[in-house]
Amino acid sequence: MTAPSRAPTNRDENWKYANVRALSRLPFEQAADHSATDDPATDPLSVELPTKTMECRLVLVDGRFSAILSDALPNGATLDIQPAATDTTPITTALGLNPVDLHYLHVNQKGRRETLNLRVLAKQCVQVEILHVATRIGQPAINVQLELGAELTLIERHLALGSGAAATNLALAISLAERSTLKLARWQHFVSAASYIETLDLSLGASSQCYLTHITSADRGDTPVSSRSTAFVTHRGQGAALHWNSAVIADGQQQHDSYVRIDHQARRAQTHQLFRGIASGRSKIGFNGHMLVGDGAHGTHSGQSLKTLLTGIEAEANVRPQLEIYTNEVTATHGATVGKLDGDMLFYLLSRGIDQVTAEALLKWAFVSDVLIHLPSVELRHHIEASLVRQLPGAIAAQGSTT
Amino acid sequence: MLEINSLQTRIGEREILRGLNLTVKAGEVHAIMGPNGAGKSSLAYTLAGRPGYEVTSGSVRFDGADLLALAPEERAQAGLFLGFQYPVEIPGVNNVYLLKAALNAARKHRGLPEVDAFEFLTLVREKMRLMQMDESFLSRGVNEGFSGGEKKRNEILQMLVLEPKLALLDETDSGLDIDALKVVANGVNSLRSPDRAVVLVTHYQRLLDYIKPDVVHVLARGRIIKTGGPELALELEARGYDWLLADAA
Repeated sequence: MTAPSRAPTNRDENWKYANVRALSRLPFEQAADHSATDDPATDPLSVELPTKTMECRLVLVDGRFSAILSDALPNGATLDIQPAATDTTPITTALGLNPVDLHYLHVNQKGRRETLNLRVLAKQCVQVEILHVATRIGQPAINVQLELGAELTLIERHLALGSGAAATNLALAISLAERSTLKLARWQHFVSAASYIETLDLSLGASSQCYLTHITSADRGDTPVSSRSTAFVTHRGQGAALHWNSAVIADGQQQHDSYVRIDHQARRAQTHQLFRGIASGRSKIGFNGHMLVGDGAHGTHSGQSLKTLLTGIEAEANVRPQLEIYTNEVTATHGATVGKLDGDMLFYLLSRGIDQVTAEALLKWAFVSDVLIHLPSVELRHHIEASLVRQLPGAIAAQGSTT
Repeated sequence: MLEINSLQTRIGEREILRGLNLTVKAGEVHAIMGPNGAGKSSLAYTLAGRPGYEVTSGSVRFDGADLLALAPEERAQAGLFLGFQYPVEIPGVNNVYLLKAALNAARKHRGLPEVDAFEFLTLVREKMRLMQMDESFLSRGVNEGFSGGEKKRNEILQMLVLEPKLALLDETDSGLDIDALKVVANGVNSLRSPDRAVVLVTHYQRLLDYIKPDVVHVLARGRIIKTGGPELALELEARGYDWLLADAA
């Protein structure tokens, strides 16, 4: 196990563009000490939860599983809530990591109250929604395991609510056994002020397939929001395939930063990575796509398309594709752009009588639609569209009504 | 309907239009011809309000209003339509939405309520039949993956749905085979009426075989150097522009 690390700073390569100052002030460690005797969330929340996107929904409130708010799992899956004191699972099995990148995982391990273990049994097909509700401090920990040939459609929603600033530090570990398939849609949805940190550890077995779509957005541009996502993906088995599609829509002074490390350790693995970011106002977006192809990972195929749109005069975007290849017979492509709205497209829409605000919103919508089309749930897509109405007025509702 | 007086424009430091005069009355079809680089497309862009085309002097009245004082979208809402020579592709924005949003913007300007879904689709389907377009085009991104001919048909489809007072069609015939040319011309002719006008920018007489103009102009060196009837287009086809350019010089 990697030794616990110091908190990252902007001098650390993979944290250059993260809002580390704000993140380091979050009281995760104090919360762990002082809330040790809290009961799990049992009271219905004072706010109304969003409608479900799947028949089975599991709800966590500030990192703790709520049996009252959750549904029974469908056949083919099991759920085990393990108290933190008995959890001896290694912090990660990924290799060659920079210890500082694991800092918040260590903080989570120390401060988590329990671990949810969701297992999909061999050759079973299951659909589940996990709703994280953040109202104050929470450090959820979730392990998801797909057994041989299992299929899981998992909608994971993070909803920051409440009157105060919520803070979440999530540890999510997912393991796909041979020939299993995961369709994972993740939505970080900020309704109120919040800070969000997560560490995702994803392990892909032979011939497994993972379709991951990740959306980060806030209902309002003036909501103070800061997020950092760290992901370690390991292709462990031959012929595994990862389709990673993520989009960030930021406004105001929001800051979102992601570091995604994808390590190809087995032969003939594939990764298709797409990132789209829109930075408006004075927001900052960072995305670091780090692709490794290890010695012996012959026949690897990887492609990266990272694009960011700057629509605010003081907005910033940093997108970095990184390739490290230590073997032959590899196909690897990458591209990264930071640009503005296309003037020709904008004039075309204006020349059809569409007002400036709607025309710009339409083009922003078109920009992120590359990612949104991969969402495995129409219901979730409608929820996301509805939440984006404030930031992309006119575009979303109209697009949704005609598609 | 359209009255242009002594219009001068430039892009950056380059002068484009140099004192252009043109009057188009309701019910008329005008053809503007001229050599490459004469300023034909620049005239269309200037009238539509494209950024970068700076008007340095002159005036343009459209339906009694000062066209140059309006933003591009206001010009469109007021009934001006530009059919692009090179329509852009906008992946992610579907055709049917663009049509609906554009139509509703025009209706709002006229004080009409938004079109309801059934009425809208009935209208669009009728116009698509006229343009011999498959309904699958509706759900595709604007001009995304369209051939050159399909893009031009799509421009005319938009025009037919929006029913503008004045249509400026910039080389709508370029890139069309003879069958597509007939379809496009048929679409344009269906819009002709006593209260509308059409300005065709074209290089070739062949479009004018199918859309009969009332007036033909030759635009060169940033101004109209000759105006005549349909016979002028035939003469240009036979003699080219050199004789006119020599006279103008």
